[in-house]
Amino acid sequence: MKILATVKRVPDPETSIKVKPDGSGIVTDNVKWVINPFDEIAIEEALRIKEKVAGSEVVLVSIGGNAAPNDVKEQLRTGLAMGADGAILVVTDAALEPLVVARALAKLVETEKPDLVVMGKQAIDDDSNAAGQMLAELLGWPQATFASKVELSGDQKSATVIREVDGGLETLRFPLPGIVTADLRLNEPRYASLPGIMKARKKELKEIPIGDLEKAGLDVSGRTQLVKMEPPPKRQAGKLVESVDQLVELLHTEAKVI
Amino acid sequence: MSGAAVNTYKADLRAIQFTLYEHLHVEQVFTHAAFSHLSREECDATIEQCLRFVNAYTGPLNGLADRAGCVLENGVVRTPAGFKEAWRKLFELGFMSFPMPREGGGFGGPHAIAVVLEELQSGANTAFNMYQGLTHGAADLIEVFARHEDKERFLPPMMEGRFAGTMCLSEPHAGSDVGATKTRARHVEGNLYDIAGTKCWISAGDHDLTENIIHLVLARIDGAPAGTKGLSLFIVPKIRVNEDGSLGKPNDVVTASIEHKLGIRASATAVLNFGENGGCRGILVGDQPHMGMRQMFRMMNGARIAVGVQGLSVASTAYLNALAYARERRQGSSVKHFKDPNAPRVAIIEHADVRRMLLEMKAKVEGMRTLALKLALHFDLAYALAKTDEAKAMYHQGQVDLLTPIVKAYCSDQSFRITELAIQTYGGAGYVTDHPVEQYCRDAKIFSIYEGTNHIQALDLVARKLQEHGGENFRQFLKEIAEFVDTYSHQPGIGAEVRALGEATDALQRGAGALMEFFMGGKIDQVTLVANAFLESMAEVTIAHLLLQAAIIADSKRGQHGDDQSQEDFDFYSGKVMAAKHYVSYVLPGVHAKIGAMIGGDRSALDVTDGGFSTAF
Ligand SMILES: Cc1cc2nc3c(=O)[nH]c(=O)nc-3n(C[C@H](O)[C@H](O)[C@H](O)COP(=O)(O)OP(=O)(O)OC[C@H]3O[C@@H](n4cnc5c(N)ncnc54)[C@H](O)[C@@H]3O)c2cc1C
Repeated sequence: MKILATVKRVPDPETSIKVKPDGSGIVTDNVKWVINPFDEIAIEEALRIKEKVAGSEVVLVSIGGNAAPNDVKEQLRTGLAMGADGAILVVTDAALEPLVVARALAKLVETEKPDLVVMGKQAIDDDSNAAGQMLAELLGWPQATFASKVELSGDQKSATVIREVDGGLETLRFPLPGIVTADLRLNEPRYASLPGIMKARKKELKEIPIGDLEKAGLDVSGRTQLVKMEPPPKRQAGKLVESVDQLVELLHTEAKVI
Repeated sequence: MSGAAVNTYKADLRAIQFTLYEHLHVEQVFTHAAFSHLSREECDATIEQCLRFVNAYTGPLNGLADRAGCVLENGVVRTPAGFKEAWRKLFELGFMSFPMPREGGGFGGPHAIAVVLEELQSGANTAFNMYQGLTHGAADLIEVFARHEDKERFLPPMMEGRFAGTMCLSEPHAGSDVGATKTRARHVEGNLYDIAGTKCWISAGDHDLTENIIHLVLARIDGAPAGTKGLSLFIVPKIRVNEDGSLGKPNDVVTASIEHKLGIRASATAVLNFGENGGCRGILVGDQPHMGMRQMFRMMNGARIAVGVQGLSVASTAYLNALAYARERRQGSSVKHFKDPNAPRVAIIEHADVRRMLLEMKAKVEGMRTLALKLALHFDLAYALAKTDEAKAMYHQGQVDLLTPIVKAYCSDQSFRITELAIQTYGGAGYVTDHPVEQYCRDAKIFSIYEGTNHIQALDLVARKLQEHGGENFRQFLKEIAEFVDTYSHQPGIGAEVRALGEATDALQRGAGALMEFFMGGKIDQVTLVANAFLESMAEVTIAHLLLQAAIIADSKRGQHGDDQSQEDFDFYSGKVMAAKHYVSYVLPGVHAKIGAMIGGDRSALDVTDGGFSTAF
């Protein structure tokens, strides 16, 4: 069984993000980059399937740069250190919108022929929550998004996925090949162990210039344009109250919540 | 806050990376065959995963475990909740094996990186890390000195975290005076001996993290000479281990009690009775008896460096916590508006005295880290060059020997002082258990005592290390600083500080001369009287040198990027320059006072009668 797991590089959720004064993006100096947390869960799920199904292979795919400041190789190596077998990097320095990402992934699926693609439900940088769904549409494959549990049938011909939907859970079964996007509670990703880190260096990390995919018919033109980024409004300073009575009074008169 | 697991550990990865790669250029080790199987990439990945591990697993247990402590129940020590799971995870990830040789099942990584891993682990949870540190030290000793069959039997389970290790030197009457050891060994057959005696203060002496514990016990074989020369070292398992590696019967090692302590309360400190019932078997380490002290020194030297790193690690997180608090806590107004009672309140980081404390902590922490990493780099280069360039390897080994007592004593003394300053920075909040610094301070106190008190370190320096190789190690040390002073004494912006280093180094040299005169004049008591002051002076000169070196590198980077430089980079490099200047202006002058007193030769502390201290008793 072959599984593709997607990897996007995002700023560490623990670092504070600053928006450039001209609103064209975020300040990336000194930002610590990590694997998108939902992608990390996707990698973990792929590895767990591999551990269950003998002879499986997990290949990571990412679309991004191969040199500073956009280099995503470190994140791919981390995924390899977790236990993935190989990685493919589609090299581009352009910031791509979800549709273009989905088209590029669809091209890779054509050549890699996976039985399953596992993706994060969204990347925590722009929160688009779109690439997985678009890829399913482009390929005409079944999909289960927001997965909190994934189970393959004994013959690996179908998958049963529990999805987290508003106010409850939904169970879907679909034939493979298909697409699963991971939600937070699907699993707890492992850390790379020391033996894993040492092995990662020797694993293949294949780079494909995005031009190669364009020659094979990839359309990189987007439909949306980033107009402006703004930081969220500064939180107003809090007010210390003297007594419970005053608190109730203010909640009533100022906050108007009671 | 007794119940909640809170991770208060803070690490400054940027500062660590600067010291590793921008200052010391640790990546040079990868050009040597001994380390060419690795690259910076794996080392950085290892550091990163280690930081994730401690933040998720051991950091959150630090405060809880301090409050819970260890419990001795029915003859068995129970460690605080969560330790077992953290231990299992730790060995699943395999960090302990990083510096171990590849032939022994390790990864053969450089010590310069291993020291960083130690810093992160000790800083996040000092007590927890003791169990691993001792297991590592014991495994390393076995790997170097034990017979092949004993290595095969004991090393793999230690590397896998199934067996832990200890070092058993201290006895009720043999603390600093190891030569007074009374524990006896009686020959049974081959390498087997019956062991009988009591060891005390044994860290990780008993616990429930592993299925077995391998004690390395110093004992005197019946008929062996008195003093340290008559000591032999034995592998004494808590539970006997059969030749096929399976566990046999208990080995008559009884945990008599555990101590109730000021700090590192989650590290069990045990009194162990060996062979109370005549059933304790020990295996001699190696083939020769009476080599115990020499063998144990391998573990002790490693442990002395490790204790210095413990000091660094706790000091660093104490400093970073104090810094975070100083940025948040608002109190008082700016001194510029001292007449205006309605002036806005400011964060305490704006007050000059708080800035003084913060910068002193920063300078010392970063200086100590540089010193520890430089020592580790010397260690790596000595190892890497051993077969190809004997002279250079000897130089590096000489610096390791010379700097070991300095790392142990200075980093441990300063750790307590820095954690104390961290409490002072907080004010009242620092004194209470809602904040982590009071625990850091309690934990830090032991570092200056165990592994040889800091006076024992000072004696090692003045009576042994300064003279080693006819004084060549110390000459090389001075030469390196002299060359630095020559090159940079007129460096714009920092030349005056470099010249101050030159003067302090001259004073240090005069101090070494005075020591020689005391020795030759038979005034040995005077040597021991000033030994600690000499060690501290030498440490301050060393740290000032390293901080100035870092400042010059930082200053050049601060210039290079010009206007393109991000605010963070600018701040980072400027901070380095300021820390060096502060240390040279406020700490380094103490060298002149101490050396002046040494040379002055005051003997009051020796001449005062015992009753002169007080007639009250
Ligand atoms: C928490 C903890 C953990 C420990 N863990 C271990 C362990 O795992 N294994 C182990 O073997 N030991 C361990 N020890 C013991 C530790 O190494 C000793 O406490 C230390 O070596 C000092 O010995 P002592 O306590 O007997 O003090 P003493 O030797 O009695 O020293 C008391 C004071 O006298 C000074 N002094 C002693 N001799 C001289 C001298 N000749 N000249 C000048 N001054 C002198 C000392 O510097 C000190 O200030 C531990 C101790 C503690 C508290």
